[in-house]
Amino acid sequence: MSHIEKLLLFPKINFHNQIIIMKLINYAALITLLLFTGLSYSQEEEEETRDPGHYNNNSFKQLYEEFSTPNQYRSASGAPGPQYYQQQADYIMDLVLDDKNKKLSGFETITYTNNSPDELEYLWVQLDQNMRSRDSKTPLIQSNGAFGADMAGNFVNQYMGEGFDGGFNIQEVSSVNGVNLEYTINRTMMRVEMPNNLKPGEKFVFSIRWWYNINDHVNGRGRSGYEQFEDGNRNYIIAQFFPRMAVYNDVEGWQNSQFWGRDEFALAFGNYEVNITVPADHILDGTGVLQNRKEIFTKDMMKRYNKAKKSYDEPVLIVTQEEAEAASASFATNTKTWKFKAENVRDYAFASSRRYIWDMMAVKTGETDVMAVSLYPKEGNPLWEDWSTKLVASTLISYSRMTFDYPYPKAISVHAKNQGMEYPMICWNYGRPDEEGNYSERTKYGMFGVIIHEVGHNYFPMIVNSDERQWTWMDEGINTFVQIVAQKDFGELYPDAIAPNKEYPIRRGTPKSIVNYMSGDQNSIAPIMTKGLNTFNFGSNGYSKPAAGLTILRETVMGRDLFDYAFKTYSNRWMFKHPSPEDFFRTMEDASATDLDWFWRGWFYTTNYVDIGVKEVKKFYVTSKMNTQIKNMMEARGMTESDLPPLVYLVEEDSEDFEESMRTATLDDVSTLQEYIMDNIDPADRANLKKPTFFYEVTFEKPGGIPMPIIAEYTYSDGATERVIYPAQIWKTSSESVGKVIASDKEITSIVVDPDEETADIDTSNNTWPKRKKLGEFDTFKEKVKD
Amino acid sequence: MNMKYLKIVIVLTLFPLLVGTTMHKFYVSTTNVEYVKEKETIQIITKIFTDDIEQVLQERYDSSISMDSENESENVEILLKKYLFKKLKISVNSIPQEIKYIGKEYDMDITKVYFEIENISELISIEVENKVLIDMFSEQQNIIHLKTPESRRSLILDKNKPKGLLNFN
Repeated sequence: MSHIEKLLLFPKINFHNQIIIMKLINYAALITLLLFTGLSYSQEEEEETRDPGHYNNNSFKQLYEEFSTPNQYRSASGAPGPQYYQQQADYIMDLVLDDKNKKLSGFETITYTNNSPDELEYLWVQLDQNMRSRDSKTPLIQSNGAFGADMAGNFVNQYMGEGFDGGFNIQEVSSVNGVNLEYTINRTMMRVEMPNNLKPGEKFVFSIRWWYNINDHVNGRGRSGYEQFEDGNRNYIIAQFFPRMAVYNDVEGWQNSQFWGRDEFALAFGNYEVNITVPADHILDGTGVLQNRKEIFTKDMMKRYNKAKKSYDEPVLIVTQEEAEAASASFATNTKTWKFKAENVRDYAFASSRRYIWDMMAVKTGETDVMAVSLYPKEGNPLWEDWSTKLVASTLISYSRMTFDYPYPKAISVHAKNQGMEYPMICWNYGRPDEEGNYSERTKYGMFGVIIHEVGHNYFPMIVNSDERQWTWMDEGINTFVQIVAQKDFGELYPDAIAPNKEYPIRRGTPKSIVNYMSGDQNSIAPIMTKGLNTFNFGSNGYSKPAAGLTILRETVMGRDLFDYAFKTYSNRWMFKHPSPEDFFRTMEDASATDLDWFWRGWFYTTNYVDIGVKEVKKFYVTSKMNTQIKNMMEARGMTESDLPPLVYLVEEDSEDFEESMRTATLDDVSTLQEYIMDNIDPADRANLKKPTFFYEVTFEKPGGIPMPIIAEYTYSDGATERVIYPAQIWKTSSESVGKVIASDKEITSIVVDPDEETADIDTSNNTWPKRKKLGEFDTFKEKVKD
Repeated sequence: MNMKYLKIVIVLTLFPLLVGTTMHKFYVSTTNVEYVKEKETIQIITKIFTDDIEQVLQERYDSSISMDSENESENVEILLKKYLFKKLKISVNSIPQEIKYIGKEYDMDITKVYFEIENISELISIEVENKVLIDMFSEQQNIIHLKTPESRRSLILDKNKPKGLLNFN
């Protein structure tokens, strides 16, 4: 229809009314001709079959069914609504680390504030350590079969022994006046009964006394625990260590979905006062600000600390390797209590050991100074003293630019074997050189990547506090995406760290790297919008695919300016709040005027994939001689050429109407066109008309289910290239193929779709015209080793 | 008891089967198996995290071994082949196949190993057994992506199901 629309526009210019009317009659005849032809086709089809009706299953339909209805708590814009609320849980804790017996005990007092409009009949408290208890059901959901043989040790552990005696021992749950409260433990969740229902706006104060045996995280594969060193020392990295309030909100009610060991946490914000008693010769750091620094620090440490507060380029050692080695040699029997206060955090974690080297460096995010901190045993060197604290600082700068200024006073990176795990202001990271201090590139980049990732988690989910138990992608996927940005920044800030590479090598979260996963067997892929526990391939589903999707939005669909503004808006709207997936999806559209429902549906709600290609290219010549197609149409309608406006005809190369002379003809030879130009265009303007001589009809196909912009690169006979991006909406009514007519004064020699592989197209064999046999990964390598 | 064997036993015993909780480290390998009909070959690319495969070679054969570093040990390729041939077995149309080793290369933190099976004029069924790293990490998953001119299929193999069969007729 576009040709007719164009024709209809012309009469608006400089015409006599009478002529206009005459011409309009002609155009009407043309429209009749074309429309009736269409009708006759569909009549023929209808006689054969009649398809049943259907719901609106257009790829660009809005997500009304998938999204929950906006309400007073969560607005349609994606922002917190006027009645948005969140609960608060404040903690006062006294903890004792018994190094000799590898035991942690605590007494905590929780002040729970009910900011919801609901009256609460009971409270739910999370007991994550119970995942390790002897009656844990976690092993029971791991499907297994009988293996031909088993290692004797495994056999004993699994079938003969009692296993590790983990899990909380709850000694007391009591109200503020010391009265015992009733409680019921359902595995990793504990329901606490209150004397009266907790009304909106009320607070309830209660205490829990508990202890548990600390697990060996290196050999038991936990996210928290200790590493045993040969010299008798341990590196304690302690988290999920205390009974924590479950989240109550407008989306889930109580989020008391059990902790099976994989899906992470949903936690309420609150203020913490934590006193940790450890052997006097331990070095310790944790979430919050140390309150009794003068009592704990030696004079030297205090001096170095004050120096670190003003050092923005190089970390300052607070405890040197020599001092750490000296401390590791003896085991103090007396203790010290480290006192911390933390405001507006959703969790608490700390690390403690005699073996720690400790360094700090100041970093500015916005107007405020933050302390970048590292704790590591000598096993981490030389890698850790060189890079850990600088990585922390660089990450804070990058994430602050992408979201908001880091609101906490410090960020700590703790060296922990095999670990990568995040908590507010503190995280555990791997990356250990061999005994001689040598390390491979991969150990180095492994450490860089994990530190940037885990420090980045301070933003998602520690501050933009999504529900990890339900939605892995909201923290891991979003964080993996920002991590890529931060890694590139780090490479630019410290070129020496990545030399001889010129750019930081990125492996995960790029569109190209997700192709393998997305092209896999549909029976073993889950949509991103799936609870993490139930996915087949946790890493690809929760981390890489969402990160690749956001990269496509930023680099290809929206562009950096629109994306970054919207992403920042989301981060700021939900800073220190609990966002849901829709809050993210809606905000990204609300702040950018980009309708992305098609993208969320394809990329997040389904397991569809992207596959777009060039199906066919037809070459046409322009002539004033009527072609057979139109002639036949006219005869069928009983029309003559004089019933129609002057037409320009397109003749396909090698069709029956094609004549060799057309190859060399120019537009000047097309008489109908020339006449039109002479009649309608000022002589002065005629020289400015383009004179295309090559006409193509390019058909793009889309075997994949996800619409995506068509990025088409045209190469011309003179070697010039031109890139045209057709927006994704080109697929709005035709999801299988679309045609484009290209008029050019040069011959097109090749067309490539998605030349930079930025859309995660799973099959690139149809991406080029003429079809180019690209050597696959395997053959490329085989050729290489042959030489 | 043989010392090497003892080491494996120790390593295995130290990883109880109970918990598979480490979030940020995935014990996973992927193997792309493609049947190229016109060449009558099956092309195989196995991608394994280099630190994992290095660790298993150290534990099984030689604790001083070092991969993908400036001073890569000379015996890496021999031991890698020895290990992988032990752990990767493929039958086509119910007949166990000889797998030809083409070579290996490193891609950041990943080791890519190339194999080929020749003279496959027809593909009716394929059975893949991939026990790579399962002796090291009880939660190891080995994902197989199989591509033929007509179809794409996948297998997720692990300790409990280290072998999978796909039929194409």
